[in-house]
Amino acid sequence: MTTNAGTANATRAITYAWLVLTAITIVSWWLAPGHSGGVAVPNVAITVAVVVLGFIKGRLIIRYFMEVRAAPRWLKLATDAWLAVLGVSILAVYLF
Amino acid sequence: MPGDVHMWVMVLGDLAIFGAYFIIYMIYRTMAPQEFLAAQQHLNVTVGVVNTVVLLTSSWFIARSVLAARAGDPERAVRLTYLGGAFGVAFIGIKGYEWSHAIAGGYTMPSSDFFMFYYMLTGVHVFHVALGLLILGIVVRELRNPRKRRTSMVESGATYWHMVDLLWIVIFGLLYVMR
Repeated sequence: MTTNAGTANATRAITYAWLVLTAITIVSWWLAPGHSGGVAVPNVAITVAVVVLGFIKGRLIIRYFMEVRAAPRWLKLATDAWLAVLGVSILAVYLF
Repeated sequence: MPGDVHMWVMVLGDLAIFGAYFIIYMIYRTMAPQEFLAAQQHLNVTVGVVNTVVLLTSSWFIARSVLAARAGDPERAVRLTYLGGAFGVAFIGIKGYEWSHAIAGGYTMPSSDFFMFYYMLTGVHVFHVALGLLILGIVVRELRNPRKRRTSMVESGATYWHMVDLLWIVIFGLLYVMR
């Protein structure tokens, strides 16, 4: 059982995370190749931005929605490792 | 720890398997970047963005239902779980609309490597959404039974649901947004 103030703070944190996640998603709309009139061309800057934004979104979901910010250290490390390995691998394959 | 350790082991295992899928996709994509990019342009970004916001919103409800359950308000937790579930159902509905639209446009699985990956990744993901809905149903049953209401059970269900959200975020970036 948690206190009312504790619940209110936790609710606010979750809602802020949701707002940031939604804002990043809407920004992605402009980055996507789907609606550009002509033929889309590869773009390293956009792709790097997509991977970085994806990393931030993933970490917000893990830390705030999945509550890993209050989890034991091994779980923080395991989830961060997954995000880092995935992000670096995607960029490595894309760039080389 | 939020939820029990078994759920986390399963979630981490699922993340590893999907992670491998994502890297295999990138390897195929890198071998034919122009072809993949051209195929990507046939996806409707607006539908993709809307569906991402729908799934994020469902997670927002589910995360708050955990707080309600923990604060000793199971009625509110049930209401929030239903809202989260409703957005999950909406996600599947929008995905179905997107698939039918793509198929009608001739973008079927054998039409290109990109669409093969598109149907594979989104299909396996939707299966996870459906399984997540079943788990949310079990959570509601738990919350409705005054003799049960184990917080760890509610947390585990939420952990699975957020994993589905997390995987979608990556799929959305890889299929719809990157160039």
